[in-house]
Amino acid sequence: MGKLKKNDLVEKKITRREFIKNTARATATAATIGTIGFPTVLRAATPSEISIGHIHPLSGFLAFDGQEMRKAVMWGVQEVNDAGGIKSLGGAKLKLIDADSEGKPEKAISEVERLEREGVVAMTGCYQSAVTIVATQIAEKLKVPFVVGVASAEAITKRGFQYTFRVQPSSSIFVRRGLGYMQQLSEKTNTKLETIAYIHENTQFGQTLADFTEKLAGEYGFKVTKRVEYSVKAPDVSTEVGKIKAAKADLIFASGYFGDGVRVARALSNMRVKAKAIVGIAQGGFSHPKFVKELDNEITKGIMDVNFQFDPNSAKAKKTLAGFEAKYGTKMSPSMVYAYSPVPVIADAIERAGSADRAAIRAALVKTHFTEHILPQGPIEFSDEGQNINANPLLMQVLNGKVEVVWPEKYKTGDIVFPFNK
Amino acid sequence: MDFTFVVQSLLNGLLIGGVYSLVAIGLTVIFGVMKIINFAHGALMMLGMYATYWIATLLQLNVYVAIVFVLPLLFLVGVLFQRFLISPIMNAPEHNQLFLTLGVMLFLQNMAVFLWTPDFRVLKTSYANINYYIGDISISLVHVLAFLMALLFSGLLYIILHKTDLGRAIRAASEEPVGAKLMGINIKRIYWITFGIGSACAGVAGTAITPFFPIYPYVGDIFVLTAYVVVVLGGMGSVFGAFVGGLIIGMADSIGAMILPGSMKSVLSFVIFIMILLFRPTGLFGRQNA
Repeated sequence: MGKLKKNDLVEKKITRREFIKNTARATATAATIGTIGFPTVLRAATPSEISIGHIHPLSGFLAFDGQEMRKAVMWGVQEVNDAGGIKSLGGAKLKLIDADSEGKPEKAISEVERLEREGVVAMTGCYQSAVTIVATQIAEKLKVPFVVGVASAEAITKRGFQYTFRVQPSSSIFVRRGLGYMQQLSEKTNTKLETIAYIHENTQFGQTLADFTEKLAGEYGFKVTKRVEYSVKAPDVSTEVGKIKAAKADLIFASGYFGDGVRVARALSNMRVKAKAIVGIAQGGFSHPKFVKELDNEITKGIMDVNFQFDPNSAKAKKTLAGFEAKYGTKMSPSMVYAYSPVPVIADAIERAGSADRAAIRAALVKTHFTEHILPQGPIEFSDEGQNINANPLLMQVLNGKVEVVWPEKYKTGDIVFPFNK
Repeated sequence: MDFTFVVQSLLNGLLIGGVYSLVAIGLTVIFGVMKIINFAHGALMMLGMYATYWIATLLQLNVYVAIVFVLPLLFLVGVLFQRFLISPIMNAPEHNQLFLTLGVMLFLQNMAVFLWTPDFRVLKTSYANINYYIGDISISLVHVLAFLMALLFSGLLYIILHKTDLGRAIRAASEEPVGAKLMGINIKRIYWITFGIGSACAGVAGTAITPFFPIYPYVGDIFVLTAYVVVVLGGMGSVFGAFVGGLIIGMADSIGAMILPGSMKSVLSFVIFIMILLFRPTGLFGRQNA
């Protein structure tokens, strides 16, 4: 009896639940029918404008750099719009919304939140690793796809985020290319290269690169025999350079920013430090046009740098760079090339998603296979971590007062001088 | 550690120490007379560097000739600084003056960002890369010239302070402002001149390093922190102390970089800084009653 009663009760309960379930199903079905039955209604809802956001240091300490990045992003947006916008969304135009990090990580929080409220479907940025780490974290929380342009910290793509993607090479890619190129050159020119002395600035940027080099050198047949760090705020680095000189290594690696790069290069030259090659790894000065233009040729000649570059062979790159220069009256620097690159990648994802829905765009980004870029690499594809796996820094060298791409041969604009015994 | 390396490091430390001296002398003169810690000192040095850069590039003049313009220019900036900003609050609490100079520093840096962009500029000269070699020890000409300039201007200032009426008036104003006033010294004007001199020292230091140091709006920060250490070491207000202190800190940095690992380099000079403040707050050459 009791059992029966219980069953009765259960049945009643089930009936109630069933009712709710059925209602839900009916609603879902109706919605599906709606989607299939009235496509025109949806198409009418297609936005004529799709907002994307970018966050860079537009004011403050890095304002100059940030404004350059902004121009690069703006040019990317203009190219997409001039080519007819997002075709799968009826030619919808991209609209760019600025966000200013002022170079401060804490500022990135409110700015990313603001961009989200303004309805951007994707974002890019941030030029500084510290800012990018925060910005991508907020974007992840808000479920907005974030395609990083310039920011090198390994950690950015190591946190299992779903919405973070990065176009530029990570620190480990920089190091692997640097070591790989040296190994290839050693074989090609029959130069015995074994030891590396590494001089680098002592913040996360330089430390990470040197750590990776120490860790990975063995795989390429090298050994880091000396590692010297310095502060970017040190007015004089000659004792540090003296330590490097005393190490008498085959190769000298250097990582840092522009100002300290100048001091290191000067001290290397003044103290007649000799090595088979002096190679910057993502060094902010060594392949900068200003470095060559404003320093004495005696100091800069032969110095190499593994760094950002556009593809010198690509017609698309030439067109983009020429268009940019015509519009803004200045050349697109290698950093700007990487600030620009996320825009066509995002546009491609929106195109394939056929929707302005963030989750759909994120899904499309995961499947990215983008060839219409201006970078010296194969298609842009993202690893599970969101890293552009084919990202490819090139080896450059100062030759006859100009920065030339010298390796790999496929991309070269000048003939390498190796070994270079300064 | 071989002999060449040690000698080379100490030599480089000594030469850059001369620049520290010159920056610190400007700071210490202002402190000694007006008891003001001038946070804007680095920014004034930055102005000196930009002035040198523009004079050298626009007028196609030799960097060292630029001193003829930079010195009076920075002197004037210093006088105006004192006349219009410090003077009105001379009697306000010390922290007000401190914050005012901090404000001026931020203003000057941001103005430089606005006017000249945060970009790095490097002055290209034909002699920046001339080196002399003794064995394997290299001596950079521009570093030696910077050192000689420091020597020259410190000496000049020392003579002005100790052998001229103006110098006596400045020292009187520094030691006993009320007494000096009673003796008919125009204290206000002495303060203008003193700030002008301090500021000119920063400017000349800027000129001295322009041939081998990149220029950007925040460049002063690099030197001014060291200058505070030097001022404390040499004794606040002591020109001779600041000069010797600069050389000591320059060499201490080199020794630190030689014997200490990695980023510990500056630890040595800052340990000296703390020790001096704790055990000999008057510094090496400061007046006991200062």
